[in-house]
Amino acid sequence: MLPTITVNDEKCKEPISCRKCLLICPTHVLGLGTDVGPQKFREIDPSHFIVRAVRFDKCSGCMDCVNVCPQNAIRVSFSGGDAR
Amino acid sequence: MCDWCEKYGDGYERWYFNPANYARRLYKIRKEETEASGAEANPQAAGGMAFVGRDFLEARERGDTAEVERIKQQIEGAMWLTHFGQVITLEEALKITDIMYPISLITCACRRSMEGLPDDENFTCMGMGAGMYKWERWPDTYRGGVHFLTPDEAKEVLTKLNKRGLVHSIYTFGTPYLAGLCNCDYPDCAAIRTAIDLEIKILWKGHYVAKIDPELCNGCASCVHRCQFRALSFVPNRNKAYIDQLQCFGCGLCATECDQEAITLVERASLPALANVW
Repeated sequence: MLPTITVNDEKCKEPISCRKCLLICPTHVLGLGTDVGPQKFREIDPSHFIVRAVRFDKCSGCMDCVNVCPQNAIRVSFSGGDAR
Repeated sequence: MCDWCEKYGDGYERWYFNPANYARRLYKIRKEETEASGAEANPQAAGGMAFVGRDFLEARERGDTAEVERIKQQIEGAMWLTHFGQVITLEEALKITDIMYPISLITCACRRSMEGLPDDENFTCMGMGAGMYKWERWPDTYRGGVHFLTPDEAKEVLTKLNKRGLVHSIYTFGTPYLAGLCNCDYPDCAAIRTAIDLEIKILWKGHYVAKIDPELCNGCASCVHRCQFRALSFVPNRNKAYIDQLQCFGCGLCATECDQEAITLVERASLPALANVW
């Protein structure tokens, strides 16, 4: 069964320096991306980095990411509807 | 025969030994969207190097093979024109360092995405060809900067990364222009995981297939952890390693680890059942 995994970007402010969820996930589901495209002649500001469930088809539902997140920003739901 | 050797080999044994593919068509293929503005969200970046969307995974889960096949062909068609890879052996990678120039050591975009790996721990990727001279235009793509290497330095780095257990593969940036020599592992490498988890051929198998000589294999199992493609396992009852040749990508990592020389790489083309399995 495919889960719905959401990350609240308002709460998850510093994913690059934190990255606790990326490292704790036993199946490497979560990844970092940016909410903007590549910018010429400058690096993307860290504030544009976001966490997303890249490989959510590998999620077992262990909830380690939900529990490790210091900002309580991650929701994992297998109910089919909105993540809770 | 390998499609790419047939199309772009031009008499060379492999398409990636053809020097023209490291220079030709440089910058001829431009992206449709205007990257310079930087205003548009980049779905691939936002998804953290994901090649497929939820629609593919949902179709797969409900067993809709027609839809799975349709999306798969759509992704492959687009990627084969722009950006895809093929597995190569260490020996082939070393040979390539004498064909292309310049060679630069850069940070791996996949591991940055999947591990958030700090730049100074992440120099495992190689960019190559004249395009690297303008790397400063895209500082985010080349986070952590660029180290230009001599061919000998590049060989040393590749040998070290092979020892670490990373798979060498070569990537197009506007096919057939080859500009990336990646050193990858599952599951953080987007190409490897897409190829073996989703069976979408963004990474082609290499020109070799590994084979075990059961007489020489002493059952030490030191090769087993080297396989990134789920092709290598261990048979306790026989006390031998086992290679699923149909699953093997021909990277040769198992062979370079075996001190009994029990694993050899045979030409894919020499095996009737595998000659066209890429």
